[in-house]
Amino acid sequence: MIIENIFVLAFIAAWCSADVTAFGQFMIYRPIFCAPLIGFLTGDVTSGLWLGMIAEMVWINAVPLGVAVPIDISLISMLSTFWVNKYFPGIQEAAIWSLVFAIPFAYLYKEIDIAGRKFNIKIMHWVERGVQKDKESRINLGIFFGLFLFVLRLYIFYLIAMGFIGILYQMIYLQFPAFMVAGFKKAWFLLPVLGFGAILHNFRNIKVPFLESRKKC
Amino acid sequence: MLKIIYTKMFIKSFFVQALWNYERLQNIGFLFVIKPFLDNAYPDKNERREALMRHTGFFNTHPYMANIIIAITANTEAKMAKNETIAADVNLVKSSMAGPLAAIGDSFFWGTLRPLAAFICVFMVILFSQISEFASLDYGIVIPIYFLIIYNTIHIPLRYWFMFSGFKLDRESIALLSKFEFKYLWEMLRYTVLAVIIVSIILYFKVFGFGPVNKNFFGASFPDALIYGAVLVLSFILGRFSATFMVYMIVLACIAMAYLGM
Repeated sequence: MIIENIFVLAFIAAWCSADVTAFGQFMIYRPIFCAPLIGFLTGDVTSGLWLGMIAEMVWINAVPLGVAVPIDISLISMLSTFWVNKYFPGIQEAAIWSLVFAIPFAYLYKEIDIAGRKFNIKIMHWVERGVQKDKESRINLGIFFGLFLFVLRLYIFYLIAMGFIGILYQMIYLQFPAFMVAGFKKAWFLLPVLGFGAILHNFRNIKVPFLESRKKC
Repeated sequence: MLKIIYTKMFIKSFFVQALWNYERLQNIGFLFVIKPFLDNAYPDKNERREALMRHTGFFNTHPYMANIIIAITANTEAKMAKNETIAADVNLVKSSMAGPLAAIGDSFFWGTLRPLAAFICVFMVILFSQISEFASLDYGIVIPIYFLIIYNTIHIPLRYWFMFSGFKLDRESIALLSKFEFKYLWEMLRYTVLAVIIVSIILYFKVFGFGPVNKNFFGASFPDALIYGAVLVLSFILGRFSATFMVYMIVLACIAMAYLGM
């Protein structure tokens, strides 16, 4: 494990997730990148790559379009990679359980994110009042305050999830009967196939120009 | 001097969504990016205040395509500073371009380029999963780095070009954009994505459906490819359902199969 300190890992994870809206959009929030990164930092790239691959394909449409706030798939992939590498490194069954266990937290974070974006309205009005009173520095302050709050709420969320909720994840996994664990093992190989199906569904409307031109004729 | 301002604006454009809010979406982000230009164009405090207030209204577009709108709006503001146009024109420029450019950005960057970069890496993950020596070492980290390189070597120069062509060509840059045969470019890229997916599926079935690790579902009696094929067809047909729902259904089905002794 390169980094064991969850304060550092949560900080890295928070910056990766901030890429979705707050800064850059360099795609470091995509599971195919951030899950292997956390895997690398916690000592097992392989499970990170696999979980990232599943999340990337299954939630292919989870991108913020307009006012829609999708679930945070970077959170699913990074939390699941962290949990499995910390408590059950290299165990595929535990990796699938971590993925299943992380999904509700992504929905929970979505609600927190929506509340944060609503709070941004107050900051926006504060900036606007500042501009009216010739306090132009509020524009820069507003942007950095917005970014700071975005990263802060992610950081706190990751800290709690990696620490306390991770213990819960481990305790529940140890209680599972053998057949459930065997089921997770099967899901390790079947979930990528679900991802392929989701992608094919997504690209089902692709048009073939050659056939289109023939139809027109 | 202007080049420094443009570069400053380009760097600031990465923060265009930092104060994204439900009331006016990217308005403060837009203001943040265009501010260095307005500072230069309006040395008079009162005029500058008026100009800044013009941009506190609703604004929303694709974050990458915002650059071209910001540049053209800045040019319109420069004309406004010389009394060559009216304030309504500034807002018209912004509002008329936001929607169409957002559509281009969404379908090209989110809908085509990102999946292409991601699926090249998915293919690499499946390919490398065959080579256990490779996977056991930490060299797998190169795959996500490839993803970032593929995506950002296209995305960042384009974002730069959007801003600087907007400044240089003004509204002509939109005409230039419309001259590109984007439809065919997207179609070609989407074919590439589809080809990468199909190759990945074939490879996955070969390795995990027929290969030495295919004893998860039927033991040695049938290849696992049978169940993979069924899930592939079902997930394609039931693609309208929520992805989360499908994940839980698959995991539950796997647990049920394990319970039944499959």
